[in-house]
Amino acid sequence: MAEKTRREFLKSGANTAAALAVGGVAGLAIGIADRGKLVWQLDPELCIQCEKCATNCVLPESAVKCVHSYSMCGYCDLCSGYLEPGAKSRDTGAENQLCPTGAIQRTFIEDPYFEYQIDKELCIGCGKCVKGCGAFGNGSLYLQVQHDRCLNCNECAIARACPAQAYKRVPAETPYILRGEEAGRYAASI
Amino acid sequence: MLMSRFFIHNVFILFILAHVVFADPVQRFPKPDFESGYERPILQTPDPRALTLEYLDVFVLVAALSLASYFALRKRSRRHIFVLMVFSLIYFGFWRKGCICSIGSVQNVVYALFSHAYAIPLTVVAFFAVPLIFTLFFGRTFCAAVCPLGAAQDVVVLKPIALPGWLNQMLGIIPYLYLALSVLFAATGAGFLICRYDPFVGFFRFGASFNLILFGAFMLLLGTVVARPYCRFLCPYGVLLNWMSRLSRKHLSITPSDCINCRLCEASCPFDAINKPVEAELHEKREKSIRRLSFYLVLTPVIILASGWGGSLLHIPLSRSHFSVRLAKEIKLQDEGKLRLATDETDAFRASGKSTSELYAEARDIQRRFKVGGWIFGGFLGLVFSLKLISLSVFRKQEIYEADRGDCYSCGRCFSYCPVGKEGVDLEKLKEKAEDKAKFG
Amino acid sequence: MNDKKDMNTRELFYVLAKRAVIISAIFASIMAILLIANFIQTQSVDPLNSKALNQLLQSLQENPQDEVLKEQIRALDLLARKAYFTHQWQIRTGGLLLFISVLVLLISLKYISSLQAQLPNFDDSKKENPWETRLLARRFIIYAGLGLFVLAFVLGVFSRNELGEPRKKDKVTFATSKELKENWPTFRGPEGIGHAYHTNVPTTWNGATGENITWKVVVPKSGLNSPIIWKKKIYMAGADEESREVYCYDADSGDLLWTKEVNNIPGSPNEVPDVTEDTGYAAPTMATDGERVFAIYANGDLISFDLEGNRLWAKNLGLPDNHYGHSSSLFTFKEKLLVQYDTNEKKQLFAFHTVSGEQIYATPRDDVQISWASPVLVNTGARDEIILNSNPFVISYNPDNGQELWRVKCMDAEVGPSVAYADGWIYAVNEYAVLAGIKLEGTPQTVWEYEDDLSEASSPVATKDFLFLASSYGTVTCFDAKSGEVYWMHEYDEGFYSSPIVVGDKVFVMDRDGVVHIFKAAKEFEAVADNELGEKSDTIPAFMHNRIYIRGEDHLFCIGK
Repeated sequence: MAEKTRREFLKSGANTAAALAVGGVAGLAIGIADRGKLVWQLDPELCIQCEKCATNCVLPESAVKCVHSYSMCGYCDLCSGYLEPGAKSRDTGAENQLCPTGAIQRTFIEDPYFEYQIDKELCIGCGKCVKGCGAFGNGSLYLQVQHDRCLNCNECAIARACPAQAYKRVPAETPYILRGEEAGRYAASI
Repeated sequence: MLMSRFFIHNVFILFILAHVVFADPVQRFPKPDFESGYERPILQTPDPRALTLEYLDVFVLVAALSLASYFALRKRSRRHIFVLMVFSLIYFGFWRKGCICSIGSVQNVVYALFSHAYAIPLTVVAFFAVPLIFTLFFGRTFCAAVCPLGAAQDVVVLKPIALPGWLNQMLGIIPYLYLALSVLFAATGAGFLICRYDPFVGFFRFGASFNLILFGAFMLLLGTVVARPYCRFLCPYGVLLNWMSRLSRKHLSITPSDCINCRLCEASCPFDAINKPVEAELHEKREKSIRRLSFYLVLTPVIILASGWGGSLLHIPLSRSHFSVRLAKEIKLQDEGKLRLATDETDAFRASGKSTSELYAEARDIQRRFKVGGWIFGGFLGLVFSLKLISLSVFRKQEIYEADRGDCYSCGRCFSYCPVGKEGVDLEKLKEKAEDKAKFG
Repeated sequence: MNDKKDMNTRELFYVLAKRAVIISAIFASIMAILLIANFIQTQSVDPLNSKALNQLLQSLQENPQDEVLKEQIRALDLLARKAYFTHQWQIRTGGLLLFISVLVLLISLKYISSLQAQLPNFDDSKKENPWETRLLARRFIIYAGLGLFVLAFVLGVFSRNELGEPRKKDKVTFATSKELKENWPTFRGPEGIGHAYHTNVPTTWNGATGENITWKVVVPKSGLNSPIIWKKKIYMAGADEESREVYCYDADSGDLLWTKEVNNIPGSPNEVPDVTEDTGYAAPTMATDGERVFAIYANGDLISFDLEGNRLWAKNLGLPDNHYGHSSSLFTFKEKLLVQYDTNEKKQLFAFHTVSGEQIYATPRDDVQISWASPVLVNTGARDEIILNSNPFVISYNPDNGQELWRVKCMDAEVGPSVAYADGWIYAVNEYAVLAGIKLEGTPQTVWEYEDDLSEASSPVATKDFLFLASSYGTVTCFDAKSGEVYWMHEYDEGFYSSPIVVGDKVFVMDRDGVVHIFKAAKEFEAVADNELGEKSDTIPAFMHNRIYIRGEDHLFCIGK
């Protein structure tokens, strides 16, 4: 009986020690923890448009899609994000379009301006238009993780494949890294 | 107008001539002033899942753990556990798509402790700590009915076979290896191995790489005969749960009162987690046993040192798993003229304007971390092997049928096999069972 | 009765479950096979990047007006997009159907097995002997442990660390500043300030007649870079549109000791840079630290050889966007190779490790315009400074870390001349700007300015008392170095791109026709000699071994007594 109580005592001590250990590790982590939530986002300034966003997402249809900061757009007739390099005419013909899924809608506004809208249903996040716009245009087209689609995996598969290391965890209150006047949307909270 | 056409024409030529240019936001074309009263559309930026819902996840976790512990220890009902398990599978698995899970959270905690750049969200800390605390009180009820990975495997168990004891013991080492490697990777910032090779998350998301789906399908197929193969032979979090469970205050018991050694439950556990009575007599000379045990005890520090050294030897190959080390290597080979091909990675690096010496310094720092980490990694594995050998050399008397505290998942499958009621042997229950059997052979 | 009914229902369910098993199993396997086939198909053909479509687009480039072709492309494009989105739909739907069928299969199987529950079987023959188990377990665990150890050992021992060990700074050897001054290691001589320390050189020669010409050799590829000399070896670079080379000549005999091709450089562009004839493909002068030589070319290729011509490292700094062509010369400082790399896109001062080529710093200088001048080293007594001339700032950097030390705003337009230095004063000049005398003591600032007969390429040279400036109009002006007062101005027939060099009490300056004019460094103009080379030249003569080495348009001349 004496032995049993001793064992019980030892066990209870070990149990408490383990609880303290778990609590200690958790406490250390809590000490540096963020009260909020972190989500994945890609920094368009680092993005090199390697097209890996389109294929490396765990979702069959990538959570990364092209966004358009209209405030920066030049509304060019000759849009290097919309037209194939060397396109012979500036119209909506498939032979002139850079986008493989035809996800950019070109609308005439007024002479000589055209509006370009991204159809998110069709966009696959390949970034071909981003490359064109960034190289010769204002850079108003760029890729962003769409948080209505992103599953916020613990280790983002695109982040791992990203050759420019452009992906990072950002606070959920400022879940986008935007350009132009649109960036001001999250400026207040940063 | 003529001017602008000329400009556009020039740009057009540039457009065709120019080669690779990295996108920089440059206001090359002025912002138009619209005369038609056109308003610019507003960029839609859908919000991420609300923070309150993340806290709801923690609440569901705590609730599920409490229920699971109640069902396993008090209610003693496999049926209830099963229903809760299916709920967890649907909620944490298919609804929450398997992220964040407690298994993966180990890495987040380690990463947060070693990297200043990462502030771990509180909910993730909760997912890491709460199941461990519950296990300290009630055993591995988390495995029984809360973990979606365990649930996914548990529902496919059809005709479990018992593995040979030695194989069970040997494969049981793998989780320690996996845990140590994952911690090493997380601590050095090389990535989250557990998440990368999670076989079931692909099913939860209805999408993953082909190889991962294949691995998952294989695990589930295997799981029909070898019950819960991931839990038993891979799960790194299971190592921690195992330790906690050994020290737990309470634990599920096969029988509600005293075991009568009826042997009915003997084959009831598909996970080989029931300790059977062992005859008291020794099968070898006592001196031999003692000599072996002392040999292993003396050898332990040697094993730890040797395997620590082995682990440190691995720091170069292991460090290659880190992006910066790989990049530094490619850049170095390019600069030496040994590698002509430019990759997306090296192009991006060169375009970033970061200095190579900075990159090399970072890469060397990571290698150094892997070296220190390699010693600890190896030493830990050496300790695990030694303890395993020691525990296999210690004779412990076992008189009754009892759930193994470390290995038992508290799934409750064994309950229905026990003829003993709370007040002793329940003859009525026995009879019922026999009749049931007779009715439908 | 009730029991019987119960039995019948259960039997019925049993049969139903059995059928469900068979049907769902078949269905699930079909789904799985379809999904795998779908996967393999899209692995081999990506509908969004179809070959046929690309071919059609290619032929459209050749026949832009072909309407039929356009229609074909549009039809095919539509088809490809449909195929892509259908494939996405197939995967989603197929996956869901597979999931449901597996679920049905599982439930039925479970149900069947629940009906077939068996009582525990006590077959003791199958029972393991716990002692046996422990023995085997111990043995296999030892095997596994040893196996892992051997694996780790082999992997560890046979894997090479490509990054090497961290370089040791003290191992780098380089010439002292005294040794550098005994040689001709950079553009415009030691420190790049146009002072020759070997003053016993001929003052008369004639390249056409051969008077005082020790030797004369043809240089294979042209280049506007000037010869640099280390001990008995002369180094120069040459390039054309296709290729780039480094030459090493023997200073005594003029023998070509070695030629090295500059090729196989990672990141080196296939494009030929746009350069003007006045700049060419190899305008920057090489540099040496006494152990290694370095060369840079118009396409951004930067390469290092040891003195014997063994390649050490090479890299490309990116095809420069430079509308004349890159022309800033290289400079070495201790273990660093300094590269002023100004392009229209980005202006930077790089420092690379001379031994490894690792980048030590890259100081951005984006608040200045692109410049074609070269770095000049200034030792004020208190510290070393690297001074870069550019529009609108003359900027001084700490060569050790690339930090900016000071800047003076005085320049304008497209800056070509490098600065002159003597006695604590910097002189910066450019055509369409000014000639500025900048006193370094205290806060550096412009003390005097002059606005006539400015140079666009030729760099000024200063002594303690005088400043000499040669312009592309053919004027040479002598100033009081401290006040800016013009002592004299002399006009020659031909303009100057090359820069004057102070050799003892004389100044040597070569005009664009290759005529070297020699005059006294004095308050009054006093011509010493005018010597013809016999061919055009815009390079800087090198003064060493009591000789002068001049690279002409086609030849390298050695002028001795």
